Amino acid sequence: MTCNEIRELMPDLAAGLNPVTPEVKQHLNSCAECAGKLEAFRQTMALLDQWQAPEPSPYFDVRLHARLREEMAKPASIWLRWVRKPALGVALAVLMVVGITLFERGGIVPPSKPGPMADVEPGTAVGDLQALDKNHELYSDFDVLDDLEVQHDVTANP
Amino acid sequence: MDRGLLAIAGGVSRPQVEAEAAARNNGLSDAEVMLRVKAGDEPAFEYLVQKYRRPMVSFMYRMAHNSAAAEDLAQEVFLRVYRSRGSYEASAKFSTWLYRIATNLAVNYARDTRHERPESTVSLDAPDENTGLTMDPADESLTAEEMLVRRERMAAIRQRVQALPERQRLAVVMHKYQQMDYRQIAEVLKLSESATKSLLFRAYETLREQLQKFV
Repeated sequence: MTCNEIRELMPDLAAGLNPVTPEVKQHLNSCAECAGKLEAFRQTMALLDQWQAPEPSPYFDVRLHARLREEMAKPASIWLRWVRKPALGVALAVLMVVGITLFERGGIVPPSKPGPMADVEPGTAVGDLQALDKNHELYSDFDVLDDLEVQHDVTANP
Repeated sequence: MDRGLLAIAGGVSRPQVEAEAAARNNGLSDAEVMLRVKAGDEPAFEYLVQKYRRPMVSFMYRMAHNSAAAEDLAQEVFLRVYRSRGSYEASAKFSTWLYRIATNLAVNYARDTRHERPESTVSLDAPDENTGLTMDPADESLTAEEMLVRRERMAAIRQRVQALPERQRLAVVMHKYQQMDYRQIAEVLKLSESATKSLLFRAYETLREQLQKFV
């Protein structure tokens, strides 16, 4: 047995989870370094044993069961309910297939969103009106700027 | 529908429900019991809760360093198991699946509370604000000085384990405190068995060096 093999086994050996086999014993007798390390690991394990975890509090079960009851009382989601009812599930699937088929054959044409000034020629009356309407807020801000009086006594870097 | 759970809520003692659940599931593996839960056997779930409540609280306590948070997280594990019952496949050991859920929760909790942990860590002597229980009851046979040394030692153990890299910390808690074997730890952490052995060796080596003065 090699030192590397012993190293792999060392956590289990030190924690007492694996017995010391004759092979391991033979290696430990001939390798002081591994024997020393195993002893040090055992001491560390004994120290770690002192860190005890508390028992679940008396309220643990009460709280858990209250949360579980709450969970059980929750209605299953609408989708799950549909899927769980075979007839409704099949009907939903058929509707989806029909919908997709119609869509692909052009039976249902989704309304196209007009892009910004997409089908309007600039310079025409309709185009200008739409541009005015779209930029209404911007023009309002210009009006506010026009209303401001120019203060001549203000310098940029006093 | 929920006789086991309602029995406890209705005043039937836990040992009684536990015994009934154990008798009903006698001879079945945990995975088989979970398959019964999946099939709608609600009381079978109570058997799993009773079997794993203590290990889950202890696992979460060592990951969260706070008993109130540990109990909340352990409860959340059982809730998640219950919610996932429909998709459960007995392809791995039930406990591996359970610890994988617990590990995810513990890791997320650690990440979410990384910046607040020093303030929220409970003192060993301070009673828990919810339960009123003390984590480390004072031993009256010890002198004040011995108590001080013991407290320092406990704090050092907690701090050193907490300071380990995430995977090493999880591996140590599962190996040392949950007595899980290399193979199961490897499955929970999704590592090879050889990588797990080497991870554990490095973790214990770090702890050995850092806790040397307390040995």
